[in-house]
Amino acid sequence: MLTKRQNLMETIKGGNPDRFVNQYEFMNLIMEAPLGEMAGPGQIIKNGWGITFSWPADQLGGFPVHDEEHKVLKDITDWKNQVKAPAVATSDEAWAAAVAHANAVDRNEEFVTAFVAPGVFEMTHHLMSMEDALMALYEEPEDMHDLIDYLVDYELAYAKELISRIHPDCIFHHDDWGSQRSSFVSPEMFEEFFLPAYKKIYGFYKENGVELIVHHSDSYGVNLVPFMIEMGIDIWQGVMTTNNVPELIEKYGQQMTFMGAIDSGVVDFPGWTPEIVAEYTEKACKECGKLYFIPNLTQGLNFSSFPGVYEETTKVIDRLSKEMF
Amino acid sequence: MSKIQEVKAKVEIGKTKLIPGLVQEALDEGNAPGEILQAMVESMSVVGEKFSSGEIFVPEMLIAAKAMSKGVDVLRPLMAGDTSASLGTCIIGTVAGDLHDIGKNLVSMMIESAGFTMVDLGVDVPAERFVEAVKENENVTLVACSGLLTTTMPALKEAVQTIKASGLDVKVIVGGAPVTPEYAAEIGADGFAPDAGSAAVKAKELVA
Repeated sequence: MLTKRQNLMETIKGGNPDRFVNQYEFMNLIMEAPLGEMAGPGQIIKNGWGITFSWPADQLGGFPVHDEEHKVLKDITDWKNQVKAPAVATSDEAWAAAVAHANAVDRNEEFVTAFVAPGVFEMTHHLMSMEDALMALYEEPEDMHDLIDYLVDYELAYAKELISRIHPDCIFHHDDWGSQRSSFVSPEMFEEFFLPAYKKIYGFYKENGVELIVHHSDSYGVNLVPFMIEMGIDIWQGVMTTNNVPELIEKYGQQMTFMGAIDSGVVDFPGWTPEIVAEYTEKACKECGKLYFIPNLTQGLNFSSFPGVYEETTKVIDRLSKEMF
Repeated sequence: MSKIQEVKAKVEIGKTKLIPGLVQEALDEGNAPGEILQAMVESMSVVGEKFSSGEIFVPEMLIAAKAMSKGVDVLRPLMAGDTSASLGTCIIGTVAGDLHDIGKNLVSMMIESAGFTMVDLGVDVPAERFVEAVKENENVTLVACSGLLTTTMPALKEAVQTIKASGLDVKVIVGGAPVTPEYAAEIGADGFAPDAGSAAVKAKELVA
């Protein structure tokens, strides 16, 4: 039997996996790294960038607050005065827990995986609101290029420290680039603003020993796939069924693997049942096949919003592995 | 190209800085404010269609809506009291328990561009608040309820049913990622739209 790591590599290289890669099993996520403050349920926090996040206790996630009082970037043309990156944590103390965790991982079995979020696009709208960020791409493109460069420099400074501390095998990087039906920006705009940014970021990780880039965007993104490949993404996690995943695998599988195809929205809700999970998981596995595909909820971490859904999905995938391999 | 045609063309491609001057020039040429407004509404209808078909994306739609709003700023003082072009007031909000506002804001912008006066109740709006807002505002013809989460679909249903049960003479349109035309019909909504461009078209249809 292949290790989880070997089985993943066989799957994404078009070899001979002996079972489905089961959701996030190949990633040993080092969540202890000092990535910055994030709001938990019931909390309101201000992070190192000055962005206020609110996560009301009864909600499934947190949101940046963008009223006039809380918006960090009120005028894109003045971003140099209004946006100040926090310092990257460089003390042994700050990294101790992450290093201890990484050292405890059997790298033959799993990938030591660093979690990085939010991404560059998300940072632009966290700082100034989605509407302002998208309009600024049109109205003040030079300032947006400069701001994006600044965000990339920060990511690279963090990446450098991250690599020197835990030597990750895999980066799991979030940046949502679309809704369920469309990318937020046109392919041309994406190519101009975000492709160069990510070529630098993912290129840096790859040049420094990272074997696998997994990018999360639980959205539509067919029109961005060529750019995803060009920037060095190995696995697109969160791929929704609106993308026609079997077609994507057919067309691009040899260049990038697709992880998802079980839309969280349709299985992960208060009234979920094992039958619903089985129906959608079977559909995903049977339609997408054994290579260049990892069955997974589209949610961007290894759990579900409602207790039991993630574990039930894992169980169904295990059963399907026995039946289909 | 006449000035009014130029206004139309420049709104469509979101030339926000040029529009106020062009609208003024169109007025100076002797065009009626209502005609210029109608030309901009037609531009936004083209923008909405292009968005729905995937030809353009959110930034293009936002920038066109902003351009139109700059033009409306020039026309507003000249049209005070003239309601002939108005399709009435639309109350919009994201339903209780749901904090998503981006989609709702886009829909609001597009419905406004179609000729409605918008009253935005924000996010996490209880069902009763929609009813109160219909009563508090003049000439409300439409209520638009948004819900982005599977978990807030019951709140969407409650909002629609509360508005309908109030007996007020308004149409209700719904939308959001998990909403389907079948679900919209099942909960008693008058209309459904899958995106902001279609929402403006549907809104006009519903109050016609």
